[in-house]
Amino acid sequence: MTEFFQTHLGAGFGWFVANLILILLIALPLMLAVAMIIYADRKIWAAIALRKGPNVVGPFGLLQSFADGLKVFLQETIIPSASNRGLFLMAPIITFTVALLAWAVIPFGPGMVLADINVGLLYVLAISSLGVYGVVISGWASNSKYPFFSAMRAAAQMISYEVSIGFILISVILWAGTSNLGGIIDAQRGTILGIFNANALNPLLFPIAVLFFISSLAETARAPFDLTEAESELVAGYQTEYSSMAFALFWLGEYANVILMCALNALLFWGGWLPPVDWAPLYYVPGIIWFFLKIGICFFMFSWVKATVPRYRYDQLMRLGWKIFLPISLFWVFLVSGYLMITRYGALS
Amino acid sequence: MVDLSQYLPILLFLGVAIAISSIFVFLPMGVARLTGAHKPTAAKLAEYECGFPAFEDSRSQFDVRFYLVAILFIIFDLEAAFLFPWAVSLEEIGIAGWATMMVFLFELIIGFIYAWKVGALEWE
Amino acid sequence: MIQTFAFYLFATIVLLSGAFTIFAKNPVHSVLWLILAFFNAAGLMVLAGAEFIAMLLVIVYVGAVAVLFLFVVMMLDIDFAELRAGFARYLFFGIVLAVFLAIELVLGLEAFRAGAIKLGTATSAPVDAAVPNLEAIGALLYTKYVFLFEAAGLILLVAMIGAIVLTHRKRSGTRPQNVAKQVRRRPQDAVRNLTPEIGQGVDL
Repeated sequence: MTEFFQTHLGAGFGWFVANLILILLIALPLMLAVAMIIYADRKIWAAIALRKGPNVVGPFGLLQSFADGLKVFLQETIIPSASNRGLFLMAPIITFTVALLAWAVIPFGPGMVLADINVGLLYVLAISSLGVYGVVISGWASNSKYPFFSAMRAAAQMISYEVSIGFILISVILWAGTSNLGGIIDAQRGTILGIFNANALNPLLFPIAVLFFISSLAETARAPFDLTEAESELVAGYQTEYSSMAFALFWLGEYANVILMCALNALLFWGGWLPPVDWAPLYYVPGIIWFFLKIGICFFMFSWVKATVPRYRYDQLMRLGWKIFLPISLFWVFLVSGYLMITRYGALS
Repeated sequence: MVDLSQYLPILLFLGVAIAISSIFVFLPMGVARLTGAHKPTAAKLAEYECGFPAFEDSRSQFDVRFYLVAILFIIFDLEAAFLFPWAVSLEEIGIAGWATMMVFLFELIIGFIYAWKVGALEWE
Repeated sequence: MIQTFAFYLFATIVLLSGAFTIFAKNPVHSVLWLILAFFNAAGLMVLAGAEFIAMLLVIVYVGAVAVLFLFVVMMLDIDFAELRAGFARYLFFGIVLAVFLAIELVLGLEAFRAGAIKLGTATSAPVDAAVPNLEAIGALLYTKYVFLFEAAGLILLVAMIGAIVLTHRKRSGTRPQNVAKQVRRRPQDAVRNLTPEIGQGVDL
């Protein structure tokens, strides 16, 4: 596509237009996906709780999220008089920008990636570590008690689980031998007996795949780790003072992050855009469909967990992060690297 | 050499993302003024509290453990940062490089065990 | 062309946000400007071809160090009047420091103009330019610079222990959850089946 625009519009401008279109092709469907996935989330909880869920707006309630969006859009933006105006409005912008930005390096199919950088995984880690700021700034700028408590909790929780996520990523990089996301997917081709394309089916990597799934729940503050929004203690958490689209942006950002984490689960452990089985006819199905399918399954597990598991207590949350996940993921770095040294790189021979 | 042309889309993406989210925040503010939904009152603009005026400044002093978590996070994050180049070049550096990293990890595990024993990781 | 433009963009923002870091009245704003400066410095690193360093800048400085700064300035009840009172007290040391920094700056500039520093033999780029950043660093850091690397590990260890010693307080009267004990508890330890006579209670 870039070539097409460059031949018609000149090298510089054509490149600009082509990339702008590509970016919008990522960002706009992402927002649509967020709207649909909020609906899916509510439907899944409803089904698990034997309720109907949203079913009024549009066929099967499919347009519920858009109705909510329109309602929120027409609301008044309330800026508390005690708040710090500039930062108060900046916090949702940061949250949403960061949630969008990480998608720049996610490969949707073979070669279908906006920015194919060598340090792709590090980039995702770096961008997701910025997510703390939206929360902390909103909590502080609100100048209100509950948002502030919630922001501090959220920050401590996010950084605690980022540690083990970092070590888990290292195990994956060790196995793939590269930190380029496309390379990590390619390394999963036929990884199990030449049949299955998934790291997670590798007995050595399966435990950290589980660990990563749980850590991503904690990192996105989903149930059972949604202490930041524990409504019995903290009202609505750091979003208490927000209204209108500023409030909705937190929601959109949160769900965009959830989808991102699902995508990462799919990329790192379930073969990304590769079909689950290394069998030629399956490769006729476009990779992007496999990828979306995997994201969908992962998201279903996210909402399944949310509908069934009770919320953790804060001390239990910190204990799980620091005393269980951190040692295990650290030990796994040792285990995976040792195994690779012996088998793949021939340390003993 | 780093392929800078791969980073340019990211810069562009940053611009687009900021633009989209700014529109989302500021456009409804304008729309609310036009539709007449914008009616601030003193009670509406007060900070949230369960029906009474707040007793004290909301930005209170916090438990020192939050700082400790942040400091430990920095240290482990740095440790992870050292692991990244090691993970991709393991084949090249061989068993000597592997042993080097194990010594490094051992140094930090000592610190971790100390933190555990002292009770720095305890919450109640 | 666009590289030059990006360089001036990042460099200008770094300088401006650095200045705002110093001049901002509110310490929280200061830290936020500092974060912006870090972020743009990462952009400069990418332009210089050091993508790994750029990512590290974001992960470590923006994602970790600045979070700590933010924690500190947000949660400490900083009394601004008291801060201003301290200003005069530390003025002398501040000026001494500034003078030393100025001297260093001048010396540095003079040394730069005097020509390249020669320490040992000049080597050409040690690693092939086609090798990705990450692998180039890995190939050197864990073999040639082992001792520096292990020393970094020791410094981190000292930092960790120091931070714990300084901030950890034993708190009394808390009842932390003992998970192992809870899991080990069996029905036999806690439940007794009794058939008390009518009119008689149960001894606990």
